[in-house]
Amino acid sequence: MPAADRREVIFRVRGLTKVYGEGTAQVRALDGVDLDLHEGELVVLLGQSGSGKTTLLNQLGGLDIPTAGELLYRDTDLTHATEHQLTEFRRDSVGFIFQFYNLIPSLTARENVGLITEIARDPMPAETALEMVGLGARLDHFPAQLSGGEQQRVAIARAIAKRPEVLLCDEPTGALDVRTGIVVLEALERANRELGTLTVLITHNAVMAEMADRVIYFSDGRVHHERRNAVRAAPATLNW
Amino acid sequence: MLSHLDRKLLRDLRRLKGQAAAVSLVMACGLAMLIMARSLIHSLESTRAEYYQTNHFAEVFAPLKRAPNHLAEQIRAIPGVATAQTDLSVPVTLDLPGITEPASGAVRSLPDFGEPELNRLFLRRGRWLPPGSRGEVLVGEAFAKANALNPGDTLTMLLNGRRQAFLIAGIVLSPEYIFESRPGAALPDSRTYGIFWMPYKEVATAWDLYGAFNRLSLTLAPGANERPIIVELDRLLRPYGGLGAFGRKDHPSHIRVTDEIRVLTILSIGFPIVFLSVAAFMTNAVLTRLLALQREQIAILKAFGFTNRSIVAHYLKFAFVMVIAGVMLGLIGGMALGTKLVMMYELFFKFPDLHFRLDGHAVAIALGVGLGAVTLGVLDSVHRAARLPPADAMRPEPPAHFRPAFIERLGLARLLSHSFRIAVRNLERRPTQAFFTVAGLALATALLILPNTFKAGIHEVLDFQWDVVQRQDLNLGLVEPSSARLAHELEKLPGVTSLEPSRFAAVRIHFQGRSRQIGLRSLLAGGLHARAVDHAGREISPPTDGVILSAKLATVLGAKVGDTLLLEALEGRRPVAAVKLRALAEDFTGIAAYMELHALNRFLGEGDVITGATIGLDMSRRTEFLAALREIPRVATVAIKETMRQSFRETTAKSMGLIQSVYLTFAVIVAFGVIYNNARISLAERARELATLRVVGMTQREVGAVLVVELVILALLAVPLGLLMGTGLTTLIIGSVNTETVRIPLVFTTYTYSFAVVVVIIASTLSALVVLRKLNQLDLLAALKAPE
Ligand SMILES: Nc1ncnc2c1ncn2[C@@H]1O[C@H](COP(=O)(O)OP(=O)(O)OP(=O)(O)O)[C@@H](O)[C@H]1O
Ligand SMILES: [Mg+2]
Repeated sequence: MPAADRREVIFRVRGLTKVYGEGTAQVRALDGVDLDLHEGELVVLLGQSGSGKTTLLNQLGGLDIPTAGELLYRDTDLTHATEHQLTEFRRDSVGFIFQFYNLIPSLTARENVGLITEIARDPMPAETALEMVGLGARLDHFPAQLSGGEQQRVAIARAIAKRPEVLLCDEPTGALDVRTGIVVLEALERANRELGTLTVLITHNAVMAEMADRVIYFSDGRVHHERRNAVRAAPATLNW
Repeated sequence: MLSHLDRKLLRDLRRLKGQAAAVSLVMACGLAMLIMARSLIHSLESTRAEYYQTNHFAEVFAPLKRAPNHLAEQIRAIPGVATAQTDLSVPVTLDLPGITEPASGAVRSLPDFGEPELNRLFLRRGRWLPPGSRGEVLVGEAFAKANALNPGDTLTMLLNGRRQAFLIAGIVLSPEYIFESRPGAALPDSRTYGIFWMPYKEVATAWDLYGAFNRLSLTLAPGANERPIIVELDRLLRPYGGLGAFGRKDHPSHIRVTDEIRVLTILSIGFPIVFLSVAAFMTNAVLTRLLALQREQIAILKAFGFTNRSIVAHYLKFAFVMVIAGVMLGLIGGMALGTKLVMMYELFFKFPDLHFRLDGHAVAIALGVGLGAVTLGVLDSVHRAARLPPADAMRPEPPAHFRPAFIERLGLARLLSHSFRIAVRNLERRPTQAFFTVAGLALATALLILPNTFKAGIHEVLDFQWDVVQRQDLNLGLVEPSSARLAHELEKLPGVTSLEPSRFAAVRIHFQGRSRQIGLRSLLAGGLHARAVDHAGREISPPTDGVILSAKLATVLGAKVGDTLLLEALEGRRPVAAVKLRALAEDFTGIAAYMELHALNRFLGEGDVITGATIGLDMSRRTEFLAALREIPRVATVAIKETMRQSFRETTAKSMGLIQSVYLTFAVIVAFGVIYNNARISLAERARELATLRVVGMTQREVGAVLVVELVILALLAVPLGLLMGTGLTTLIIGSVNTETVRIPLVFTTYTYSFAVVVVIIASTLSALVVLRKLNQLDLLAALKAPE
């Protein structure tokens, strides 16, 4: 566990607050989050529905701008970044994976990945990325011709193909059965291990926490507590 | 290599090809019209300019009675005059074998040796007149064509009462007669009226005009102003019976071409504006929908670092592809139509070489206007979509609030079927979409009003001109003013059922610095033939003094009823008198001025004189009548109404009919395009919802009924609105076809309205069928799985 702390801090979060709406309709989705995320870590984020996990991920990924607090990505202050800086940040440094895959339906697997590598700084070939997630044989299928798990693996390939520093995954297995979920997690774990990508994974499934370096428990828009795993369990050994 | 984003673009386009094609087609209609009209303007203008240039068309013209040739020196000395040319123009009557109606025309003189300096002829066929030739003539092409005359034929002419046969040496064109018609006649009648050219010596000898001229043409020195020169000419020519000099812009042939260009200009603006607005509107509908459906895709692109600008560009490209397809189609269509219409112009306008010239600017304008219209139509929604924070876009649009529809709240719920209820709630829930659909349908309906109103207007012009204003069967014109007693002689001709004497005089009407040269016509108190009619269709009984003018002429002069005009006779003793403008006559072709016969004779001071007569004829005795008429030498022209009506039908009406049918076709295409597009959009927007309805157990029929009921409700709202809009739009556009040559009355008929309604109903039914078929093919699972 101290090993993790020696690694370089990538995100530094202090008192991060996000408020939606105004007046009586106000919702404090994030209410003073303090957190450090390190290079190459695999972090699992657990918490009740509505506790603010997605909101935190959106702030980390530069998809949204916090209301207050401090959010540093290395030396970049994301709370005061311009639209242009945020775009740059997302383009070069972040890979997203969502619960509903969100592939472009009119593009094939290869093209969905290619779409992103086209604008990335130092991408790997789309085919390589797809092979990493075990889809080397389905390059030219459209999303509608793929199963949910396969679609999610395309989404992972799309996210890792640009060799991002951060991989942000919001319930990537939420819509999948156990077996498929494991295949997807294996792909994620492999990317984290081989590429050294900081990976943040939101889930409702506490079992998955076993594969993490660190587990963060979220509640009411705050970090409730966290724990470290001495060893990361291999996804294949997980059982739910 | 195509970028991946462009590949997505192509696939999206392929999926939406029906709608993209509808948009492109509508746009193509507008652009075809734009390109056609602008290119025709370009063709006419540039061809005319080159023709004028090459053939040295004069800039100022002055007809007169007779002046000695040496006066030309004095004229050349006027400051600002570059060249002056004198020649002769005399009336002629012709004897054509096989044609019972006497033909007439004008003979123009050519220099005995060498080419004329100004208004040079173009030799179409045959040869020029050899120097010093006699007994030979050149014939204007319009007349030659209408009467199948060829070089080598002989033509019998009555020159100053002497019958003589001439050999046709060649067929020619003249920049002075691009439009060849009887002076004052609004419509060409080339069968019975022609222009001929002979050497000066021949014309002068026959008419006893040797050493004199009665026509003057001038060109101006660069930078010279024509106004003072015309004034000076009028002063100089006054003692010689000057009939008033005028510049090119008052030259009858020039005016006709200019008027045509004016009408084309209106068409090249009015129609494309309407069509392109519709296209912009449709693009907006298609794209807005696409953007709504691709919210998540946009969010993903942004999450992965695509810039707002590249996303805006992506969706604009989508619109631009439609524009470019529209421009290409419009270009092809415009060129095809233009080529066809140019052929039609050859019927009216005689140019050495008139062919379709594509106006490159017009294509650039079309592209610019198309891109502009579409960009305007979609830029805002595209921007808004691109600016949406990705985290927001990722969330599906919040579910809409439903509540019982207004009709249900009225307590009519029990009467409503499920389908009906869903349809009604839907419309209430999405007023914007409903508004757009209603607007689209209304526009489609509106466009259908114009072409048929145009057609009805033309028919009205015909009926009006020949059944209301001129109720006689034919007009006779005499060689020169004669005693009114001649009328009794004419009355006795076989077949004449009624006769009314008429007087015609060339005058110039002045009002506050503005003036127009025109033929003043007589009206007979209690007359049944020629009449003047006011805007309400009531006959204006001829006042004992004062004049009646065409409303258009009054507008041109800036005069109103009660104003005092200055009337200057251009013939006889050339009296000048102040007369009151008594009434305005409604007419549609050309401009006219009327005076009561006795008042007119009083003004001219030549006693009880006539220059023609209008005749009611027993048509079964027509041949007999015309044969007898030949024995009366003083008759110069005979214009038979039926012949003119026939010739109008074959020329002007045909060409207008062609234009009209083009517009009608376009309007129908647009109506279909808009309606189909609307139906497709409403299907696509709702695919998921409708699929859900199917999944929960509604039958195909019931689900189809939801869509159909919606469409019917919207159509019921849109059609009356469209009829109203169409009426306004038509009033605007037809109202601007208002030239001195032709004006089109607004005639809204039940047929026009029913036609529009029927087309909209058919288009709606067909679109509904297509959509229903699509609905039946709807892949329930796919529709539920992915928002596509
Ligand atoms: N755009 C928004 N406007 C208003 N409230 C919002 C918005 N987005 C999120 N919220 C609110 O913020 C809180 C946190 O939402 P968030 O989506 O982060 O929860 P979550 O932990 O991801 O929940 P789940 O596990 O269900 O996905 C919730 O109460 C939610 O209702
Ligand atoms: Mg969430």
